[in-house]
Amino acid sequence: MLVDGPTFRRLVRGRTLLVSAEHDALSVRQVAARVGLSPSHFIRMFAALFGDTPHQLRTRARLERAKQLLAEGATVTEACVELGFASVGSFSGLFHRRTGAPPSVYRRAVAAPRRAPLVPGCLGLMSEVPAAAPSNSEEAPPP
Amino acid sequence: MLHIKLSSVMVEDQAKALAFYTDVLGFAKKLDIPVGEYRWITVVAPGRDDLELSLEPNANPAGKAFQQAMFAQGIPLTSFESDDLDAEHARLVAAGVAFTRAPMVAGPVKIAVFADTCGNLIQLHQPL
Repeated sequence: MLVDGPTFRRLVRGRTLLVSAEHDALSVRQVAARVGLSPSHFIRMFAALFGDTPHQLRTRARLERAKQLLAEGATVTEACVELGFASVGSFSGLFHRRTGAPPSVYRRAVAAPRRAPLVPGCLGLMSEVPAAAPSNSEEAPPP
Repeated sequence: MLHIKLSSVMVEDQAKALAFYTDVLGFAKKLDIPVGEYRWITVVAPGRDDLELSLEPNANPAGKAFQQAMFAQGIPLTSFESDDLDAEHARLVAAGVAFTRAPMVAGPVKIAVFADTCGNLIQLHQPL
């Protein structure tokens, strides 16, 4: 599909609204209306452009904010309330499924002294690749 | 003598990126090595390994801000060469890829721009 210039700008504006904590109360339908697209058109074009549906992208953004809050020392309950999740159970379950660990475990892990920085310095990841890594293999070595 | 062996694009989700860059774009996985909570992933054009493209996580907030700003401005972060851009464009459109610029002649090249579903716009070019 071809996304023309005006539609592209509407979709980018939609993404900005979806990931912003300030506009978290807007439904996907309301965000589509705000940027002047029909909900079905908005969802279809959005997924083709960003690789996530609006709902998926918003969930991803909320979990990123949760990680940030936990890293800053918020309790799991505080993060849950701050992000507007209905219950600690649903928040913890979602967090666990998406990140591989419950929020309480993540919180303890980021609070512990770390050998490496919290986020990779992009190509800096290379320095962490094991020296024995084969340079011509298509398969990753066992961890 | 130095030579250029590695380039990279930042991606939102490395697993999804590997799927898109191999299954949809048609590159071949070269390396996929776990590094802490991330992976060192590179892909190459099939049949050649003179240049690897690293799919690196955009987890650094500065990287994410840069990536999103460039995307919002419609600026591609890299360009892949094709010897038949129109055919490549038709193939990718059929695979559901969203283009922000259909193939057009721009001076000595034909170009097109698509979204890689990982947070980037990528250009295709064909020397004329």
